[in-house]
Amino acid sequence: MKPTAPLRRACARTLLAAGLATSLALMTGCAKSEDDSGGDRGASQGKDAGQVVASPSGGTGPSCAIDAYGGEKRDLKSATVGFSQSEKEANPFRIAETASIKAEAQQRGVKLLTANAQSQFSKQISDVQDLIAKGADLLVIAPLNSDGWEPVLRAASAKHIPIVTVDRKINAAACKDYVSFIGSDFVEQGRRAADRMIGATGGKGEIAVLLGAAGNNVTTERTKGFEDRIKEKAPGLKIVFRQTTEFSREKGQSVTENLIQSRPGIKGIYAENDEMGLGAVNALKSAGKKPGAVKIVTIDGTRNAVQGIVDGWISGVIESNPRFGPLAFQTLDSFARGEKVAQDIVIQDSSYTKDNAESDLGKAY
Amino acid sequence: MTELSLAPGAVDRDRALRLLQDYGVYGGVLALLLFNFVFTPHFASAENFRTQAVQVAPVLIVALGMALAIGTEGVDLSVGSVMALSTSLLSLYLGYGPWTATLIAVAGGVVAGLASGALVAFVGVQPIVATLASMVAARGLALVLLPQLKDVHDPGLAALGSGDVLGVPHLALIAAALALLVAFVVRRSTFGRQLLAIGDSRPAARLAGLPVRRVLVVVYVCSGALAAIAGVLATARLTASDPTSLGTLMELSAITAVVVGGTPLSGGRVRIGGTVAGAVLIQLLTTTLVKHDLPPSWTQIAQAVVIVAAVYAARERGKR
Repeated sequence: MKPTAPLRRACARTLLAAGLATSLALMTGCAKSEDDSGGDRGASQGKDAGQVVASPSGGTGPSCAIDAYGGEKRDLKSATVGFSQSEKEANPFRIAETASIKAEAQQRGVKLLTANAQSQFSKQISDVQDLIAKGADLLVIAPLNSDGWEPVLRAASAKHIPIVTVDRKINAAACKDYVSFIGSDFVEQGRRAADRMIGATGGKGEIAVLLGAAGNNVTTERTKGFEDRIKEKAPGLKIVFRQTTEFSREKGQSVTENLIQSRPGIKGIYAENDEMGLGAVNALKSAGKKPGAVKIVTIDGTRNAVQGIVDGWISGVIESNPRFGPLAFQTLDSFARGEKVAQDIVIQDSSYTKDNAESDLGKAY
Repeated sequence: MTELSLAPGAVDRDRALRLLQDYGVYGGVLALLLFNFVFTPHFASAENFRTQAVQVAPVLIVALGMALAIGTEGVDLSVGSVMALSTSLLSLYLGYGPWTATLIAVAGGVVAGLASGALVAFVGVQPIVATLASMVAARGLALVLLPQLKDVHDPGLAALGSGDVLGVPHLALIAAALALLVAFVVRRSTFGRQLLAIGDSRPAARLAGLPVRRVLVVVYVCSGALAAIAGVLATARLTASDPTSLGTLMELSAITAVVVGGTPLSGGRVRIGGTVAGAVLIQLLTTTLVKHDLPPSWTQIAQAVVIVAAVYAARERGKR
């Protein structure tokens, strides 16, 4: 080997490393992204609608008080609240949920500790244990799974820490392992989507369902509510196509492209979240269909989907309200002061149609 | 082998197997097409073929780069994450216009390929481990740059995603052009010969004085650049940048297309025509099941059957 070879190699290596480092620095240095026409979210935050309780309306249903749960009364203002988020804040629902909790804590002047499990259940368990160790007196948990909470619940009940779960339930005894659950009724959302679909299509014809991710209670419940209501109220509507597109816009688009080719007579598409519905809109656009030729009904209420109603592509959006902050803190506050709170608090979700989409666009998240 | 071929029956069997290895994937595509012409309503329409061509384009382009990496007895697991990185960069730099943004996105892919290639060639890390590292890093970087889905309003990109020339979608044209280019490079260029020689036996290639390190780095750079192009095209089609889900499991689809197309994982041979047919086969399989509204779990099972069949057919080649 020539004596210059090692030198050259070392030189090449240094160059490579330097090149990698500089390009990484350049990458972020002078970014200039497209103007976001749908932006300006901060300005409309004031219009955000907090949640309204749907049931129990008049104190019916099982409730829970602090004497039954254990622990002592306290003032929420002097307490520390821990919040454990399940998924990373990459979709509008999670972003709005975390923001709402943080805003409410700030408004009430409560010290808030937060953690994000990044969709890993084992991380969520250790997150909650960390929150307890850091001195959280009360907990708000957005659970990733329903099962597997025993170690956390044991640790919490040893310290008499009240727990409120939001958006998903955990399989444990209410008022013993946790205080209450605040969330939407997903079956009811499916039923209301079915009502919208019946109204939009006139109750006759063939429709398709874009399912969410398999093995998820949101998917099964939104499917069940929709199919049962269609069967019961509009036997003329036939569900001829059911494919999972995993809550993603890209899959919603490619499956819808295939759908509208093999079944050109399809009248409506029910998408179990907004993203899949927006993918279906993309597919219809590129197939040269006119807005409203195929009726699309979706669930969630993100800004893009509500904008889709304004543009005429989407016939209805059933809201799934992520702003748990006010209700969660109100529940914890009443409970800590010794009042009775309901074990199951189902929230009232609104909906968007052609009539209110434009005026309520600011309420969408 | 020599002993076996003395017996006439064995010769026939051997030849049949060889034929199956070389042309089985084309037979599969043909069989699926025939099935769909007969049993799927509205399949034989120009609109349908356009849709299929558009849907297969990103997988196909990624598979081309993967074929090169597998030809050197390596693999590139980072392709899906590089697609995500490319979509993030594209969205971040779109303010400068679509061309500049595309160039920067592809440059991001080149840098990611350079990192994997340097790890493989200079540090001597196994390709599967080196590209696993870049897979994690690129996805992470993509999410740091753009944490959530962002819509793309640029009319140029939208035209790229849904426009066509004489009825052929842009995406399909670009994929076809890249396939021809890569096929030419593999068959006719010195670089292609060196790549195959390295895949056949790296020590022999080194002893023969081939620039092993340089060729390896260039192969991973090409793979990264192709994945980045696929990311740009996928973004244009979706008219949104979605680094959280774009390209997930893309590496598996690409490896499947390459393996089904008859490129051996042991390196030293690259079949571009087969790779294209492999990607088309997987696409047709998925489409057939979707159009007939069969449960999606069936698609995965069907893909598994195709992979096992392809690897079974390729088994003899490994012993040669």
